[in-house]
Amino acid sequence: MSGSEPVATRALPRLAERSAPLLEVEGLRTHFQLGHETVHAVDGVSFRLERGEALGIAGESGCGKTTTALSLIGLLPPNARIVEGSIKLYGIDLATRSETALRRYRWREIAIVFQGAMNALNPVRRILDQVAEPMVQRLGTGEREAHEKAGDLLELVGIPRARARAYPHQLSGGMRQRAMIAMALACDPAIVIGDEPTTALDVMIQAQILELLQRLQKQLGLSLILITHDLSVIAETCDRVMIMYAGLVAEEGAVAEVFTRPRHPYTQRLLAAIPNIHAERRTLETIPGSPPDLRYPPPGCRFAPRCPVAMDICRIEVPSEVRFADGVRVACHHYPAGSDGTPVTLPTDAPYGTR
Amino acid sequence: MTDQNGRAQPAIGDEVLRLEGLEVQFPVRGGLRNRLSGRPADVVRAVDGVDLAIRNGEVLALVGESGSGKTTIGRVIVKLTRQTAGRIWLDGNDMTDLSGVRELRAYRRRVQIVFQDPYETLNPRQSIYDFVAEPLVVNRIGGSDADRRLQVLSALDSAGLRPAEEFAARFPHELSGGQRQRVVIAGALVMDPSIIVADEPVSMLDLSIRTELLRLMLDLRAERSLAYLFITHDLSLAWVIADRIAVLYLGKIMEIGPAEAVIRRPRHPYTAALVSVSPSPEPPAKASPVSRTILVGETPDAVHIPPGCRFHTRCPLAFDRCKVEEPPLFDVGDGQLAACWLAEGGRELPVLPASDPAPSSAGA
Repeated sequence: MSGSEPVATRALPRLAERSAPLLEVEGLRTHFQLGHETVHAVDGVSFRLERGEALGIAGESGCGKTTTALSLIGLLPPNARIVEGSIKLYGIDLATRSETALRRYRWREIAIVFQGAMNALNPVRRILDQVAEPMVQRLGTGEREAHEKAGDLLELVGIPRARARAYPHQLSGGMRQRAMIAMALACDPAIVIGDEPTTALDVMIQAQILELLQRLQKQLGLSLILITHDLSVIAETCDRVMIMYAGLVAEEGAVAEVFTRPRHPYTQRLLAAIPNIHAERRTLETIPGSPPDLRYPPPGCRFAPRCPVAMDICRIEVPSEVRFADGVRVACHHYPAGSDGTPVTLPTDAPYGTR
Repeated sequence: MTDQNGRAQPAIGDEVLRLEGLEVQFPVRGGLRNRLSGRPADVVRAVDGVDLAIRNGEVLALVGESGSGKTTIGRVIVKLTRQTAGRIWLDGNDMTDLSGVRELRAYRRRVQIVFQDPYETLNPRQSIYDFVAEPLVVNRIGGSDADRRLQVLSALDSAGLRPAEEFAARFPHELSGGQRQRVVIAGALVMDPSIIVADEPVSMLDLSIRTELLRLMLDLRAERSLAYLFITHDLSLAWVIADRIAVLYLGKIMEIGPAEAVIRRPRHPYTAALVSVSPSPEPPAKASPVSRTILVGETPDAVHIPPGCRFHTRCPLAFDRCKVEEPPLFDVGDGQLAACWLAEGGRELPVLPASDPAPSSAGA
């Protein structure tokens, strides 16, 4: 398979700039139209993805993580629109391209694996045909060769050739997710986005799929964007993490830094709320309140209404992003420009069961 | 009383519910063809011999993957599914065969269930008041309308929906996901049950809402010495909230015991593997990479349960005896039991072979 070549020798798209980063998103704003109201789903998001890197994007429902992903591959629903910002793949801005132009890059350069494989796979076609199809349609590969390669891909993701002629309903949830991954790999993309790729799966199957993604990343030199509400999954599989809240980036940086020394109050609370089976203590921290209605985002910091250490300025002024020496960036008034980045201390919850 | 983590420990009292030798079998479609050809019909052995006891004020987590039978056990307890064999006891009384509506009503007052999806449990056209009052009305209990109103408001208040008067007048679409699940809990509380079967009650909720709800449930058991059978696929969640954990595989208990013991010193290879793959919010340390045991393959279907120990086809430690002889639950001390030949005589579980370490990704 051509994908096993070193990353540097991958054929780049015609318009690519050689020196440009793989993916650079700047000031992305994607809004939804709901009747007469505008939902500010993604409201100024910037990040980079380097070659061979695994980036995790985390946050709760409605934080804009999935909308960010769909903006990248131009699969937004009809009532959503990129209103500002750029999405540069090898320096080529995808945000301003027409649907026809975008199609050159979708699947060939950026592919996506969705959560529910049953809904994404065609129930009346054999999985082998479904994996072969994008090669025939987008790369112009001959039927026979495409089927041969599809068989290889299915084997690569752990589906034996004997099972390749099965229909989706004949496979287990884990096997279907493997088939989805093979489909995403069909056109040998540079970037694979996983949108909650393991969320509906049992923990043992989840471990199998995550291990597979890591193996493929290394073997094929893939760059990975993993979108999930489950920070634990990111801790174990990604190099960098970007935590989103209410359409904005709260904190972004190397997994090793952010998970061990979280700075943003939201990150701190979110990490404390995860049940951790490997921790010394059993804890169950909460984040009172709920995320804001993105039709009417609050002024100032969007987390301020729920933040235990919010100050007056937090309710008035939107905090700007500050980057520290360890490469972590945070948008929080507790870290003004020039701050040394010492994490702010949060009060802890009372022990539970003592109301 | 508090434990070493500063958690309030409610007094755990007498046994409230007991299951003995519970079995649930479902016939499989295609049984007709078998019958015509004279073969016995295939059956799914969803629950295949489970003994379980829950005490007042106790949280027992029933943990298992899909197909483990955990949901079926919950449904049998609240009498939504009929057992094929076995007995159910409530407060020492045999409740296996309840005859008549009255007995069933009395039983259901004591044993309530909370489902995973509040969106499906709530009726969008029914006010919160009517939803919570419904079980009282249906069961013709709770006294006068004024008395019922007090009980409904008190249940809403206990479930953290305050001011209760205000929430009572609302409709489901006016509430957040977390509030809806609180309404469902209020609907269970209004009957003043002794035990609540909670089937994945928080798995649809975001993390921040989830912990609030779990705290509420734990506060309630401390106040009312409620018992919970907490059904979940998430071992980490079980560890955080449960007093005891039972691990199910293919319709049978593989291991049961105090949460701390089951997680920290598992005696069954299946438990040990589950613990090892449970993700934690800590990045794997470079120096000591976590050794994970990722089991190969998937759970066999419950029509074709493997002979001997049902886990042997996936067990990294299986030996000859496991293939032919099913191990009983061995008592390994301190209330911990494991259905594994390696636990016979209270022995420690050998270290599981680790899966190939996941390749560290480029740039890490």
